[in-house]
Amino acid sequence: MKIALAQIAPKLGDVEANIDAHLKIIEKARKQKVDLVCCPELGLTGYTLKDLVEEVALDPASDPRFRKIVAATKGLSAVVGFVLESPKDRGLYYNAAAFIADGKVVHVHRKVFLPTGGIFEEAKFFAQGRDFQTFKAPFGRVGLLVCRDFLQYGSNYVHYAAGADLIICISAAPGRGVAGGDAFETSRMWELMGEAVSFFSTAFVIYTNRVGSEDGVTFAGGSFVYAPGGRLVARGSAVDPELIVCRIDLADVREGRRKWLFKRDEKPEAIWRSLERIVRAPED
Amino acid sequence: MPPKINAAFVEKVLIAFIRDELGRCGCAKALVGLSGGLDSSVCAALAARALGPENVLGLIMPYGRAFPEDVRDASALARKLGLRHETIDIAPQIDLYFAAHPTTSRVQRGNKMARERMSILYDFSVREEGLVLGTSNKSELLVGYGTVYGDMACAINPMGDLYKTQVREMAAHLRIPAAIRRKAPTAGLWPGQTDEGDIGLPYEELDLILFGLVEGHKSRREVVGAGHAAAAVDRVLRMIGRSGFKRALPPIAKLSVRSVGHDFLYPYDRGK
Repeated sequence: MKIALAQIAPKLGDVEANIDAHLKIIEKARKQKVDLVCCPELGLTGYTLKDLVEEVALDPASDPRFRKIVAATKGLSAVVGFVLESPKDRGLYYNAAAFIADGKVVHVHRKVFLPTGGIFEEAKFFAQGRDFQTFKAPFGRVGLLVCRDFLQYGSNYVHYAAGADLIICISAAPGRGVAGGDAFETSRMWELMGEAVSFFSTAFVIYTNRVGSEDGVTFAGGSFVYAPGGRLVARGSAVDPELIVCRIDLADVREGRRKWLFKRDEKPEAIWRSLERIVRAPED
Repeated sequence: MPPKINAAFVEKVLIAFIRDELGRCGCAKALVGLSGGLDSSVCAALAARALGPENVLGLIMPYGRAFPEDVRDASALARKLGLRHETIDIAPQIDLYFAAHPTTSRVQRGNKMARERMSILYDFSVREEGLVLGTSNKSELLVGYGTVYGDMACAINPMGDLYKTQVREMAAHLRIPAAIRRKAPTAGLWPGQTDEGDIGLPYEELDLILFGLVEGHKSRREVVGAGHAAAAVDRVLRMIGRSGFKRALPPIAKLSVRSVGHDFLYPYDRGK
């Protein structure tokens, strides 16, 4: 199958402009016969929203602008990042990712780990997601993550244990550290996790990060795809916008699991028992 | 010195930053006050690469005939970069003011001059429909070595996360003329003044101490343990502590349930 990573620079606070940009990307991807296009975290809104969250939030089930994107996915799949306000809990805003396939919203993941500290202040403005669920996509089982979710390695484990063939992370990760090569030093951290997760989960890891800057912070790009076994398939540049298109073969998941027996030998029940004990233990 | 930077990558990031910020405001042009020193030269060179030299106005604003070699270097740089540039002597208005309100303080006179230059830059910002680029580097910002609402005032600052020694690396990368790179850094408030004389430390050492304290999150004891004189570290800590007000917006007395600066929180780049 063919996948595309949309390493774009959304316009801060301008949902209409970002919807148009997403529609153009989906069209471009369709022309290149792409099966799955992944757009970055908060791609419909921009990242540094602060109090703007309530102005840009939407309900994907009823918002006519979002419906345009859903309608545009006839014959392909897309992952889109936005601010969710669902009718079930109005007044709560989630940093969310929607998986849309063939004109239908298949799954919405609400970001669980909201970085707050240093330059990050997400928990100040967003409500926290509580769950990681895999779901069936047209081409296989998928687990969605948003940015920091991916760096908390338990999130990847849960998707792996649930049988994800693809772990897809959409991101708005700022770059820090310029003493290295032709990318921010922090880009290595993401690749390290991508390489490790793809190796030990024998799954594909697809990571789309945005570019551009907001309030002086530059987003680090460096989107990538790792195939099972830690093989780098594609990598975007730092700083520059681009549509990265590459081919992957889902048979690699089977091949990886045949060769490396991590998945066969996995014991989620042992992990579960241990976690339960840890979670129930009183704070000392 | 703090760890070396990848100057080519930093150039790329800063050029994108300048373009992004100006693009958001719908401005094509930038203004830089050219002192003939290192920071403003590096800033002007970055702006010229980001926007095209014809879109950068360099303003050279000497006080009468003080520092003739700086004026010469600034003009030569502007010509080398192909910038539009203009020289405005600030002596008439400065002399008029101090004739009416005399002072013997060199610092007070220097600060007044820095604010006069700011005032001219902002006036030209309107004339040009351009943004004023800041030239304060990270070393200066951290120790508060700058005139608040003077040379620290700007619309955007591409230089503020580079230590002085890193600005030197950028200057070499951007081929800033040796005459500018070799001169002793000075705020130019009075003849013979140097940054390192005022701060009491060479930049190589200041930057290493700052790097340990800021990036390294090291304690006073650890920085002293790394081989710096306790007196020097204390001096730097004192300067950082005393200059906090220069790095923050002034506090607003909170009265209501939602107040500017407290909990009415929007990005700088909102709606641009």
